[in-house]
Amino acid sequence: MAPKTPQSNFSGPVVVDPVTRIEGHLRIDATVENGKIVDVRSSSQLFRGLEIILKGRDPRDAQHFTQRACGVCTYVHALCSTRAVDNAVKVKIPKNATIMRNLVMGSQYLHDHIVHFYHLHALDWVNVANALQADPAKTAALSNSLNANRKETADQFKAVQTKVKALIDSGKLGIFTNAYFLGEKKNEAYYLPAEADLMAVKHYLDALHMQVKAARAMAIFGAKNPHTQFTVVGGVTNYDALKPDRIAEYKALTDEVIAFIRDFYIPDLLAVASFYKDWAGIGGTSNFISFGEFPTDEYNHDSRFFAPGVIMKRDIAKPQAMDQKKIEEHVKHSWYVGDKAHHPYNGVTEPKYTKLEDKDRYSWMKAPRYNGEACETGPLATVLVAFAKGHKPTVDAVTLVLKYLGVGPEALFSTLGRTAARGIECLVIANQMQTWLDALVGNVKSGDTELYTPWKMPNEAEGVGFVQAPRGALSHWIKIKKGKIENFQLVVPSTWSLGPRCANGKLGPVEEALMGTPIFDPARPVEILRTVHSFDPCIACGVHVLDAKTGQTASFKVL
Amino acid sequence: MTDSPKRILVLGVGNILFTDEGIGVCAADEIARLYDLSDNVTVMDGGTLGTRLMDPIMGCDLLIVVDAVLGDGEPGSIYRLTGEDLRKSLAFKDSMHQTDLVDTLIMCEIVGTRPDAVIIGMEPFDYHTLNVGISEVAKGRQEALMGFVLEEVVKAGGSCSLKANPSPITQEREPCA
Repeated sequence: MAPKTPQSNFSGPVVVDPVTRIEGHLRIDATVENGKIVDVRSSSQLFRGLEIILKGRDPRDAQHFTQRACGVCTYVHALCSTRAVDNAVKVKIPKNATIMRNLVMGSQYLHDHIVHFYHLHALDWVNVANALQADPAKTAALSNSLNANRKETADQFKAVQTKVKALIDSGKLGIFTNAYFLGEKKNEAYYLPAEADLMAVKHYLDALHMQVKAARAMAIFGAKNPHTQFTVVGGVTNYDALKPDRIAEYKALTDEVIAFIRDFYIPDLLAVASFYKDWAGIGGTSNFISFGEFPTDEYNHDSRFFAPGVIMKRDIAKPQAMDQKKIEEHVKHSWYVGDKAHHPYNGVTEPKYTKLEDKDRYSWMKAPRYNGEACETGPLATVLVAFAKGHKPTVDAVTLVLKYLGVGPEALFSTLGRTAARGIECLVIANQMQTWLDALVGNVKSGDTELYTPWKMPNEAEGVGFVQAPRGALSHWIKIKKGKIENFQLVVPSTWSLGPRCANGKLGPVEEALMGTPIFDPARPVEILRTVHSFDPCIACGVHVLDAKTGQTASFKVL
Repeated sequence: MTDSPKRILVLGVGNILFTDEGIGVCAADEIARLYDLSDNVTVMDGGTLGTRLMDPIMGCDLLIVVDAVLGDGEPGSIYRLTGEDLRKSLAFKDSMHQTDLVDTLIMCEIVGTRPDAVIIGMEPFDYHTLNVGISEVAKGRQEALMGFVLEEVVKAGGSCSLKANPSPITQEREPCA
C-alpha cells in the first residue's frame, strides 16, 4: 500500500514563524485538536506602506520605488506601475514593446517556477538526509526511466551523496538549516523512497545552475542587470535587444532552460507527486482570481494568452469575467485604522498596530476580496481559468498531468494541485516562448523596430495596471493630480492568497487551505509548510540588514 | 604569460525603502557616479535580489559587498568582515536572522564557484522606518564608507579616479548624497 501522511492525536497550538527564511515576515498561528488544524491565522509582520512614499512624486518614477517593495519580484512591480501609468495617460504602446515585455515576463516565470519547485518547495517533500541511504545505481535507473533525454549515471549520484554528507557532517547546513527532515528521529511525514530523495537532491543542485541561466536570459532583454530597467511609460527602451546577436544569445539560453523544464522539472514533479497523492485531498480552497497575462494588445485584457477570470465555489463549468469594480480591500482584522472596505482607487493606508498576540487584528496585510469573497491567486487560479475556458495548451498540459497521476480535475483543488499547476503554467509558457520570439524577429526583419510611443502627462487622471505575476494577481492603482501622484495603491498576490480574515469574518485563502490539515509532529509541522509554500509566499521582501552579532564568533574588524 | 587582473565586483545590497537599509546601495551608486574605475571593476546595485545575484557573483574573483551590518557598535561604525567571518557566524548561529545574501554565497559554493568575499558594512542608525534616503548619521559617514570600499578595490588590483564631470544625482537617488 502507498504510504500516507501519518496522523497524530496532538492537541495544542502550533506556531510557524518564520515560514520563510526571513525572520518576521510571515507567521502561521494554528490551533490543533486531535491531530488536525481547527483554527488558524496567517499574519504578515511587515508593514509595507509604500503608498506613503509615492505621494507627490512624478508618476513615471513610481516603478523605481515599487520594484523595491519586494526583494525578488522587481520586474513585475516595474511592469505593473508602468502599465498603470500607460493606462492613466492613455498611451498605445507599439507591438514590439508588448512582445518585449512578454518575453522578459516569460523568462521571469521560467526562472521563478524552477526556483520555487526545487529551492523553495522541494525540501517540504524531499528528505535530504534520507538521500544518503539511496543506491546510486538504482537512482540513475529511476531517473532515466522518467525521461528519454536523461543520461544520468550512478557516479553522478554518488558524488551528490558525498557532497551532501560533507555538508551535513560539517554542521554548516546553511540552506538546510532547521529543515523539518532533520532531527534524531526520522520525520515520518516524509515518505519518498531514498532513491527518489537522492534524484531530487541532485536536480536541486542542477537547478541552481539552470536558474542562473534563466536569470541571465532575462537580463539580456531586461537591459540593466540585475534590476530590469527597460520599461517606460509608452513602451520599452531596450533597443539593443533588437540586434540579431542579442536575440540569438537570448534564444540559446532560453532553449536550454526550456529543455530542463521538459526533461527534468515536469517529470520530477510528476514523480514526487505520484508518491504524495494523498495531498490531492489536503489544502484546497474555493475561489480563484487571475488577471491573465501575456497580452497581444495591452488595451484588451481578453487578448491575454492566459485569459483573466474568476472561478467561484470550484465551479469550472462557469468561469466568470473579472470585473475590477468588484475588488475591495478590507482592514477590519488588519493593523490599520477603522473597519471600512475600500476599492483600491480610494484605498487608505493608515497603520495602527496593536500587538503580536492579538487574535482580532493580526496582520499588516489588508484582506482583498472579490465580490465579497476571498480568492486564491497564482498558477492554480490561472490554470483553472484557462482550463475552464478551454485554452488548448493549458487543457493539454492539465490532461497530461491528471492522466499520469490517475486523478480527476477535482484533485487540482489541493496543495498537490497547486504545486502541479505551477509546473503546468511553466510548461505552457515554455512552449509558447518561441512563438513570441518569432513574432519579434519577424517584425524586426520587416523593418518594424518601434518600441516607444510618445505621450503627454495629463493634469488629472487615474489608471490601473494588471499583471499576473508568477505569484499571482498584482495590481497598481494610480490617481494623478497636477501631474503628480495623488494616490497609489498596490494590491499584491501575497495579500490575495495570504491575507487575513475580512470584515465578514471570512478566512483568507491560506487560512481556508490549512483548516483540517493533519499535524503529525508538532515540533516539525512540515504539513503547514507544504501548503503555505505551495502558495509561493514572498520570501525576500523587506529588510536585508546583515546581523553579525553572533556571540562567540563576532571577530570581525572594526575600521 | 601575465595573469589577467582580478575581476572585482562591488555589490551594494539592501533595501532603499527602509532608510539605512539602503546604505550599501547608496554607496555603490555614489561610487559609480563619482568615480572612473578600471575595466576589471564592476559596481552593481544588488538590492535584495538574493539568488538572482549568483550569476554576477560567480563571474568575479573578488566580491566586495557593501551593506548595513549590525555589530554592536555606535551607529555609523564601519566594519570589515571577510567571507570566513560569515561562514563562522552561519555555522554556529541558530537564528534565521541571516539573510538571503549568506544563502546566496553558500549556493555559489555548492555550485562550485564562490569568489573571495569581503564585506564593508556600516552600523545603521535606523533601518526600520519606511523612508527613501539614508539617515544624517549615515550620510556623515558615507564618504568614509566609500573610502574603505575603494581601498579594497585598489588593494585587489583595481584603480579608481574621481570623475572630472560626474553626472548629476537623479531624483530617485537624491536622498543618497
